Amino acid sequence: MLNKNLYTWSGLGLLIAGSLLSLTSYFILLITWLTALGISMLILSFILLALGRTVPKLSPEVSALLLQTGIDNLATLVEELGIKSKAIYLPSSITNSQPQALIPLHTNSSPPVITKPLPQRLIVRYGTSPDDTGLLLTTVGTTATSMLESTPGPTSAELESALTSLFVGILGVADRTRATHHENYISVEIYNPRIENKTTWFHQCLGGPLASVVASVAAEAWNKPVTIKQEEYPRGRCSIELEVLG
Amino acid sequence: MKIYNSYILTIAALLLLTTVILVALGQNALDVYYSIYIVEALVVTELYVYFNTKARRGLNLVSAVLFGGFLLILSLQVIKTLA
Repeated sequence: MLNKNLYTWSGLGLLIAGSLLSLTSYFILLITWLTALGISMLILSFILLALGRTVPKLSPEVSALLLQTGIDNLATLVEELGIKSKAIYLPSSITNSQPQALIPLHTNSSPPVITKPLPQRLIVRYGTSPDDTGLLLTTVGTTATSMLESTPGPTSAELESALTSLFVGILGVADRTRATHHENYISVEIYNPRIENKTTWFHQCLGGPLASVVASVAAEAWNKPVTIKQEEYPRGRCSIELEVLG
Repeated sequence: MKIYNSYILTIAALLLLTTVILVALGQNALDVYYSIYIVEALVVTELYVYFNTKARRGLNLVSAVLFGGFLLILSLQVIKTLA
């Protein structure tokens, strides 16, 4: 069954017009270039029809609605608990399922050291001290990481490739990305991001959606916990700096 | 969907430009037009490496069909030359 969207309709239009043009010009008008033009329209129509089948049936508005509801609930929870510490993005090897974010309930000067896999609960104990308690949350990055075909390796080139594939090819929220890595710090530049930046308490804690995705992918790539050190939005860019812990 | 639009616009512009250039050069063989179209479409498709898996699968199918047409033209030309 055809997924009726703009690509499919355009493809069908070009298929009909291209067939009529190429047949008429080849058999009746006997004009080669007009036949070639008809053939080029047919090629385009095949491409449009193929792409039309891959467009999600769910409208972006419905997706935004679902996402906003989830984020609002999480934001309420984080704000009500008065958490001020920065989230630590954990790889799937530590959470035992998928990359998630741990928000320590108590702010410490040194980042927590997580040595054993965490249980799949909302409130988890990650250390021996009574204060070593935090919220283990599923973020935008958790879902985005599952969209990747394979886990990238711990190099800036592989991280950049994975992020470009995600942001440009799959999500369509940016034009290109660039990643550099120096010791325990990873810098990522996202060009022309199309997600608005909010500066709420919740976003300061977990980072913006783009930073959340970058941190989750980096945590998986390095297989180590990662925190967002800095997130800036200079003109037409999103600049994210991450620190790899442990 | 920005990557889809950019890909479609690139191919459409290339095919149109090729037609204009070949007409200006006085090319009158339909197989030449078709062969160049196919090569351009295949090259541009390969250059867009960041398509998602589903789109890549669909475009691979289109590429296979177009390449089949290209092989058919090539075979006809070989038969014509040998005959």
